[in-house]
Amino acid sequence: MKKKISIFVAFLMMLVGWSQEQEAINIPLDTCVHVLLHKDASRLKEVAGYLVAKDDVTTYPLLSAVVDKRLFSYKGTAVTKFAGDTLYYSVYPKIQVISIQKEKLSEVKLPRSIRTKFNVLAKKVNLVHPNKNVREMSFRSFKTTGVLSDVNFLTSLKINEKEEQVLLAANEAIYSIWLKSNNVALQNKALDDLETEVNVHMLESLTDYVSNTTNSQGKERAAIIIEDIESREKIINVIQNLFSGISLGSILLLVALGLSIIYGLGGVINMSHGEFVMIGAYTAFSVQQFFIGFLPESWFDWFFWVSLPISFVVSGLFGLLVEKLVIRFLYSRPLESLLGTWGVSLILIQLARTIFGDVTAVKSPEILSGGINVTEGLMLPYNRLFIIGLTIVMVLLTYFVFFKSKLGLKIRAVTQNRDMSASLGVSVKRIDSLTFFLGSGLAGVAGCAMTLIGNVVPNMGQTYIVDSFLVVVVGGVGKLIGTIISAMGIGVLSKVFEFFYEAVYGKVILLLIIFFFLQYKPKGLFPDKGRHSDD
Amino acid sequence: MFALVFPIGYFTGLIPINTLTLWGRYFCLAIAALGVDLIWGYTGILSMTQALFFCMGAYGMGMYMTLSNLPEGQLLPSFMVWNQVEELPFFWVPFDNFSYALVLSVLVPGVFAGIMGYFIFRKRIKGVYFAIITQAIALAMFLLFSRNETMLGGTNGLTDFKYFLGFDLRDNSVKFGLYAWSLIALGLVYWYCHNLVNSKFGKSLVAIRDSESRMRFTKYKVTHYNVAIFVIGAMVAAVGGMLYMPQTGIITPGRMDVQASIEMIIWVALGGRGKLKGAVIGALVLNLMYSVFTTVLPSSWLYILGGLFVITVLYLPKGIVGMVDQMKEKLNGMFVKTA
Repeated sequence: MKKKISIFVAFLMMLVGWSQEQEAINIPLDTCVHVLLHKDASRLKEVAGYLVAKDDVTTYPLLSAVVDKRLFSYKGTAVTKFAGDTLYYSVYPKIQVISIQKEKLSEVKLPRSIRTKFNVLAKKVNLVHPNKNVREMSFRSFKTTGVLSDVNFLTSLKINEKEEQVLLAANEAIYSIWLKSNNVALQNKALDDLETEVNVHMLESLTDYVSNTTNSQGKERAAIIIEDIESREKIINVIQNLFSGISLGSILLLVALGLSIIYGLGGVINMSHGEFVMIGAYTAFSVQQFFIGFLPESWFDWFFWVSLPISFVVSGLFGLLVEKLVIRFLYSRPLESLLGTWGVSLILIQLARTIFGDVTAVKSPEILSGGINVTEGLMLPYNRLFIIGLTIVMVLLTYFVFFKSKLGLKIRAVTQNRDMSASLGVSVKRIDSLTFFLGSGLAGVAGCAMTLIGNVVPNMGQTYIVDSFLVVVVGGVGKLIGTIISAMGIGVLSKVFEFFYEAVYGKVILLLIIFFFLQYKPKGLFPDKGRHSDD
Repeated sequence: MFALVFPIGYFTGLIPINTLTLWGRYFCLAIAALGVDLIWGYTGILSMTQALFFCMGAYGMGMYMTLSNLPEGQLLPSFMVWNQVEELPFFWVPFDNFSYALVLSVLVPGVFAGIMGYFIFRKRIKGVYFAIITQAIALAMFLLFSRNETMLGGTNGLTDFKYFLGFDLRDNSVKFGLYAWSLIALGLVYWYCHNLVNSKFGKSLVAIRDSESRMRFTKYKVTHYNVAIFVIGAMVAAVGGMLYMPQTGIITPGRMDVQASIEMIIWVALGGRGKLKGAVIGALVLNLMYSVFTTVLPSSWLYILGGLFVITVLYLPKGIVGMVDQMKEKLNGMFVKTA
């Protein structure tokens, strides 16, 4: 009996408390801000309850600052600062950048019990976040959680929105809510709009609608829209795969270029070529660590650009060292060179493992994060675009060195006939070393570029070496144009097959195709003309 | 020595049985190395698929052992049950029978090598191109064997055996029996290869190695020779693999990757290319070193192996056997001088 009474009393008290909050129906918002900033303990609770109940869009920036513990007071105005940003913003009545003197700024620390009161609004407050990506995300979250009553404020927020991607997300949210509602008129309105603009993100909501609705006409219309979306997605997928194929091809090309030049020149199969890629990547990593350790923070974004030429030089020097120590003795003995350089590669991998441990990563520079949004759902990431661009530059440079410079002339002479060149006064040994330096350097640049899209691990070179050899074999040894075509072909095909079949089977199919291609053209795409003695 | 000293040592209790099993495994690897020597040492074809054929033999035996080790009443290996396979795949069925398994374990790699070799050699693809293509094939097969859908145990491979032909594998006398069989097999294969390389066929192989074009011009069907020796080498490797299986009790796709094949080649190169003795010695020495160094100094093994590759290629073109021969000659020369 006693227990029942106490429950009843508690219930009564709750009612009283609730009605108290309801009674304070009109507190001016300026007063609310004032109370929050001055932490007026007597009214904090009341104001918090009022703000939550009022649910006013204009207070969202203020509330989000409270929830995220970044509310400051500056000469009586509420100010906030966002993570990763140096600017300060006023949050009420309008969100805008203001200039301040730091010494007059004081942080407003509200008790936890007050902050948690606002959590019910947390989902909404991000709708006015200054970062467009956060806004987009929070709009999109309403697609699944939103109800019909949310549409009003979503629409009111949409009107002031200027970013296209956020507008799209807002529309998606509203359409999804309409489709989910039982109101046929609203559903039809959503379908009308969706028929005119194809939006790939609406697929799920439409599918749900089709399976739930009893309206056969609406069902048909939705099915047609779904078909449109799917065919569009297919096209986007194909483009995306072509794109990643080309970027894979560019990496293969950077690696295979050096391989092909070296093989053409000295008849050396350099199995350790992949390790020069690895050395390039670790050079980028070391440069990054150097920037972190010794240089001011604001310079950090420069490290990647600095490490590109350094990777070239370091890998080139390692290549030179290997050439002087091992490969020099193996010219024109391809099979022996294959075994010897395999040994070198084992040593280099273990060396990297001893020095750097197993997995390390390099942070991409800020400017290369993100990408170009070609259309909705199709994004070309900057880092891959950069790799493609870098490859084009490197290929052009290689072309000029090879066909427009004196060094290139000599390299081509030695490639054609070593003894003849020597007897005509070309210093064959010097040309060998220089070519090796260039080839390994190219691999180093490839390694540096690969840090943009993957981790740095000791055996990273091994992943690409077999493919690069296939590129060389298919393209024809020592042929620049053949190497380019076969690298792009193998890159694109392997991505396309990966898309249609699973990765492993795609790879197997690609290998089979290469196998039969070599049946048809055993010397690659562009064989040397004329007859050669093999023995 | 292996036929006398080790068994005596074992029976007198001086040598533990595990050492014998270890050597038994080395013998199996030496058999595979003999195959490498036939293909590379004598015919001059650098193939990167030798470890693949070795594994095919081992997988064949492994399939038989998997099926014969199934507990009473269980019809499918556990890994198939996990993958929701209802029925034994058709290519597993013959491996239930030991003699079929024995024949197929050698025949399948042989046929595979035959088809592959025919297509490659027909177009006179050789040397480096051959090496790279076989390397790609080895990689493709490695990827296929690693998949669960191919029904060969995926990356875990085939393992967990207790009995072989009804004998308990943990029993010392069974272990000794396997050691003896490995030694006998090594002897037989060696004897066979010895006859082969000293026959007219063997001499033709050496001629192909030294000048393929001249052999063609003198109307030898070089392609047929190449395919034949490639198939023989593959089958020899498969025999090694079959015997290897019951002694290690596990086979995984990791054993057939490119690195494994290249290592087999370096055994032969270090021992002495183009000498059967060299292949056997190289395989034994390098595997012994592997066992020793991976237990004593695990992180140093890759340095040593890599160094051996380099040193062998640069300074020991004829391997250990060649070096010993050279030293013998020098000693003889000294004797002649003093006499």
